[in-house]
Amino acid sequence: MDISFALTGKGYVIVAADTVAARSIVKMKVDEDKIKVLSPHLLMAYSGEPGDTVQFAEYVERNIRLYQIRNTHALRPPSAASWIRRTLADSLRSRKPYAVNLLVGGYDTSTHNPHLYWIDYLGTMSEVPFAAHGYGAYFALSLLDRYHDPEASVEEGLATLKRCIDEVAKRLVVNPEKYKVKIVDKDGVREVEI
Amino acid sequence: MSRSYDRALTVFSPDGHLFQVEYALEAVRKGTCAVGVVGKDVVVLGVEKKSVLQLQDPRTVRKVAMLDDHVCLAFAGLTADGRVLIDKARIECQSHRLTVEDPVTVEYITRHIAGIQQRYTQSGGVRPFGVSTLIVGFDPHDVKPRLYQTEPGGIYSAWKANAIGRSSKTVREFLEKNHKDGMSRDDTIKLTVKSLLEVVQTGAKNIEISVMESYGKITSLDLAQIEAIVAEIEREKEAEAERKRSRLAATAAGQAAMSQAAGGSGQ
Amino acid sequence: MNSFLTRYSSTSPEADIRKAKELFDEDGDVSDVMWGSASGFGNLASGVPMFKLPSVPDPTSFLRMHTDDHADPSCRIKIKHGTTTLAFRFQGGVIVAVDSRATAGSYVASGTVKKVIEINPYLLGTMAGGAADCQYWETYLGIQCRLHELRNRERISVAAASKYLSNLVYSYKGMGLSMGTMICGWDKTVRIPEMNRDCTEAIRANCRLQGPAIFYVDSDGSRLKGDLFSVGSGSTFAYGVLDQGYRWDLTDAEAQELGRRSIYAAGHRDAFSGNTVNLYHVKQDGWQFIGNYDVSKLHYEGPGDVPGAPGTGYGYDLRVAGRTSSDAPQSEGQA
Repeated sequence: MDISFALTGKGYVIVAADTVAARSIVKMKVDEDKIKVLSPHLLMAYSGEPGDTVQFAEYVERNIRLYQIRNTHALRPPSAASWIRRTLADSLRSRKPYAVNLLVGGYDTSTHNPHLYWIDYLGTMSEVPFAAHGYGAYFALSLLDRYHDPEASVEEGLATLKRCIDEVAKRLVVNPEKYKVKIVDKDGVREVEI
Repeated sequence: MSRSYDRALTVFSPDGHLFQVEYALEAVRKGTCAVGVVGKDVVVLGVEKKSVLQLQDPRTVRKVAMLDDHVCLAFAGLTADGRVLIDKARIECQSHRLTVEDPVTVEYITRHIAGIQQRYTQSGGVRPFGVSTLIVGFDPHDVKPRLYQTEPGGIYSAWKANAIGRSSKTVREFLEKNHKDGMSRDDTIKLTVKSLLEVVQTGAKNIEISVMESYGKITSLDLAQIEAIVAEIEREKEAEAERKRSRLAATAAGQAAMSQAAGGSGQ
Repeated sequence: MNSFLTRYSSTSPEADIRKAKELFDEDGDVSDVMWGSASGFGNLASGVPMFKLPSVPDPTSFLRMHTDDHADPSCRIKIKHGTTTLAFRFQGGVIVAVDSRATAGSYVASGTVKKVIEINPYLLGTMAGGAADCQYWETYLGIQCRLHELRNRERISVAAASKYLSNLVYSYKGMGLSMGTMICGWDKTVRIPEMNRDCTEAIRANCRLQGPAIFYVDSDGSRLKGDLFSVGSGSTFAYGVLDQGYRWDLTDAEAQELGRRSIYAAGHRDAFSGNTVNLYHVKQDGWQFIGNYDVSKLHYEGPGDVPGAPGTGYGYDLRVAGRTSSDAPQSEGQA
């Protein structure tokens, strides 16, 4: 039931994920943060099998941090996304694979480009201008095809995200109500209320 | 016969020595000097930098390494061994965050490093790490600066100020004479530089200073800053010498006058 | 025959490999864990004892075949399931309340089960799902917490303890463990030492005060930090009362009453929960057992003379005694 969206704009990536942690019919928690800040300019939204998600995300978080401590500089988004995809793909061929879907968004401080990667639990990766996971994808992708603008300002980008969230609220049977929204741009990561 | 005792590491000599461990300590004594000093709410690491060759890039020769946001390590001895140890420690720092959701305490990572060093004195087919380390930092949720030392044998201990490497004994004795509890940031840095100058003849350009002021707040002093401190120390020394000289002159003059007066009265 | 021979001979290549493996294993024992490192948790896998698993291709489905009474009511092993447990954080610490009924299928196996596991004087664990799984692993957790204390000269944080359990059950994910537990406790409160009163704001921020904490951990590997949780078949009923009555600034008496009342509600409505309520209160200096209350007695008489008690029974009939929804005209009634 996890829903996550992400979209790029002029020099930034917005990543949004719902905040519900459910078990059977019960919402156990309504303020869970499902977006990890992996490095000063890198975000990762995760969803999928309970348990696997957090285990995998924390494993990635610590390894990206270790890389930064070893090399002074953090991995750039394309390299980080490739490493994450590879880790997921290796786990897929292990005895117990991680069933985790990811959206990796980052800002490359040396080329000044925002990057967004859609990665699924089978290790498929694709660089995209916008992306969604979960039931939200069924509503949002067509909407984003229609409204996404690669040169949109942050305000316009957030307005487009709001369209996605509103559409899901209007049409999906169970509505998550609250989303966590994070933006990464040249100044780093920040959280915004929507 | 006696030759065999220092070949197989896991064998004691008849008088209870592990020669390889003692040789490792010897390698440490040959390494460049490193000093750590704890102040009131600051801890300073100073190391003696080897002079780089003319065509060498000085940035690739580093003796102070960050282990995590809040822990820093300096070592003396074999650089290659130090690098391996640092990498193991860095992995443990992240692993600790992963398993207990808290950053390591300085004592914990020291114990871990000492544990690795000890392990390499008690298993077959390996050689001890030829390094001693100084580990400084702040514990999470704490305000007390900390300084620890580890040795090739796996001993670790906490200090207010200590030195390892070349001429460490001289420097330690200097620190024992001059260290005071609750020193300010500037005093702590100055004491570190001063103690290093005991063994580093070439002055500021061969000294590297890292200052940790609170959890995660660490700065490396650049050459100009260190030169300024060295200059200040020189000035103080100069002034001290001047005072001594004038005092000596004064006492000499006084004595002379006194003896003259005595001679006069005797006349 | 041949294989039998090679297995026990000491000169064959196989034997060499076997010896090498033994040596390797021996070396494996000398892991970081043994050397006091990694607080005993260095690696996710090490430090966790491994059990023999049934030698069938798929242990999980094998286990399910013999234990799942939904799919097969005549299965041989019926795992004890139904439960209501709850825990919440408030201004005065943590309240932990549980029922005491153990059911195996439709059979009430016991009415006096202790579903709160006292891990150490500062940590409580609750028990929902497989009773044996919870009891065994939470006791095991207690051992590890004590070892952590001895190694690090410091009490284990609630976060670390719950994460240890979470990593442990995650390593058995998909193998049939069934647990839903809350790890509750009070984290060491850090005080800024007297000599450092004039320290900078950055240092002060690092010394954040800690306090009561609750983590929900289940056998899927989920681990959630939160203020209020309820777990078990009766959890929905408990939530109904708990959510409505919950505020951060409850007094100790109000909070204890809320915990008691919520478990009663679940005991009353859920067939698989009931018998008695066990109530605990975790404060700065450790947990305290408040009391054991019979659900039927709560229904008819209330908890008796305890702080926060309403004075009467919790039952609906008692609460609304003398009140009616009848809207008959007054005059007619008087005539």
